Amino acid sequence: MTDMTTLGIAEAGRLMARGDLTSTALTEAFLERIAAVDPKVHSYITVTADTARNAARQADMEMKGGLRRGPLHGIPIALKDIYETAGIRTTGHSHLKADYVPATDAETVRRLKAAGAVLLGKLGTHEFANGAMTSDQPFPAVLNPWTLKHQPGGSSSGSGAAVAAALCMGAMGSDTGGSIRNPAGYCGVAGIKPTYGLVSRCGIFPLAFSLDTAGPMAWTVEDCALMLDVLAGHDPNDQASAKAPKVDYGASVHRPIKGMRIALARSWYERDDASMTAETKAGIDEAVRVLRDLGAIVEEVVFPDLWSYHICGRLILSVEAHAVHRRDIIERPEKFGYTTRRRFQIGAFFSGEQYLSALRFRRRLQQETRAAMRGYDLVLMASQWGPPEPADEAPVIFHFLGKPSLTMPFNVTGQPALALCCGYGSDGLPLSFQLGGRPFDEASVFAVGAAYERATTWRSRRPPL
Amino acid sequence: MSSPKAPPTLEEFRARAALTGLTLTEEDLGHLHKGYVGLLAQMERMPSCWAWAAEPPHIFRADE
Repeated sequence: MTDMTTLGIAEAGRLMARGDLTSTALTEAFLERIAAVDPKVHSYITVTADTARNAARQADMEMKGGLRRGPLHGIPIALKDIYETAGIRTTGHSHLKADYVPATDAETVRRLKAAGAVLLGKLGTHEFANGAMTSDQPFPAVLNPWTLKHQPGGSSSGSGAAVAAALCMGAMGSDTGGSIRNPAGYCGVAGIKPTYGLVSRCGIFPLAFSLDTAGPMAWTVEDCALMLDVLAGHDPNDQASAKAPKVDYGASVHRPIKGMRIALARSWYERDDASMTAETKAGIDEAVRVLRDLGAIVEEVVFPDLWSYHICGRLILSVEAHAVHRRDIIERPEKFGYTTRRRFQIGAFFSGEQYLSALRFRRRLQQETRAAMRGYDLVLMASQWGPPEPADEAPVIFHFLGKPSLTMPFNVTGQPALALCCGYGSDGLPLSFQLGGRPFDEASVFAVGAAYERATTWRSRRPPL
Repeated sequence: MSSPKAPPTLEEFRARAALTGLTLTEEDLGHLHKGYVGLLAQMERMPSCWAWAAEPPHIFRADE
């Protein structure tokens, strides 16, 4: 075996099931790589080496004794540092929580542990999943592993960077306005924002209750599907949790896609008021060609204007995020980073009427999107306008005043959306696109995403660290 | 939306900020004013009138 850290979850699971690989050996390989490589990337805030070694030994004993908990048994993973972990500090990448050690695990963490996953540590994030990475925060900014000169995207920055740099096999992110799909796209990994309500948010620092989702990021679509198999399911402690039927997502990646109908939302990303780089556009055009060659039917469909989703989602997010953090933003504003503070403060200036109007608008957009998708299984669109910002460039405080967000439509409608790699630019940075699905139809999203990955060679390249 | 057509001046915004309970520096106020006016301009795209029973806002389910 050449390099254990670049194995996929599915492949490592097969090797462990055959007795050709131990979780202990795999975990040690990742801990060694983290020690050697992460000082350049800064993806980890906390490495839980002892906990990981104990969990790996436990997994090995269980598997040796014939107990197989599933595809994540013995698999080293990591968590965005807004997931509460019993006995392990959970910082939110903020001075406010720098020493906070929860007593219990988030529901998602409990499920991952019950499935036998091995926790390597906690990963860097935009502060409370909303700010940017700035020098007034307690931990260094995560860098994009493909160049070490660009930002990795956010807010699940450490999750995207660690997966791409082979510093864990899978990671948990969260997505309120694009925070899984942005770093997935910029770091060249796969990341899915599940349908709102599919995965519990209990024990995860909230940002905006009516938009927050938790989801997996991994090197391949298949690995995301295997993680979602463990994560999905009703949780009575999350008021938004849905009672959706159990689906075998791992099996869905092998479904044939011939005849599947995909709506191409070209009007969302080819527009006069926001420009996309030629390389990004070419990457998406080529992805469309590949999917057509695989037998999918891809047709252009006009959806409501992208700006409508952008402002609807941004207003809801700003008001709800302010409500969540109001006490701290009033009593200890100096503890927040300079971008985070202003992004949490601005929600105080909107009226109840404006917030309700945004919620009504959301309902209308949800209905109009569903109508536009009638007869189609999926939506295909861009996930980024171009490469990420240089790492040494100061983050813009109100980033949403520039171009409309390409990821917000699926937060507003609650639909599942996957970001995946569709090539590399001349600067060496990954290109990506999005596949949006019907509510609770993650299986179709995985089927098409995995078929695309199998038909292309993009998964054979890793960051040159 | 029912927001006034003309965005608030910095002075008008400062008066409004005093009612929010936030502790703001002069720099905060400048940034927030710019962000608020920018968002207000974007909100012009949202419908301004809603029927009483249209799109009830208090229910959200992704699978509807």
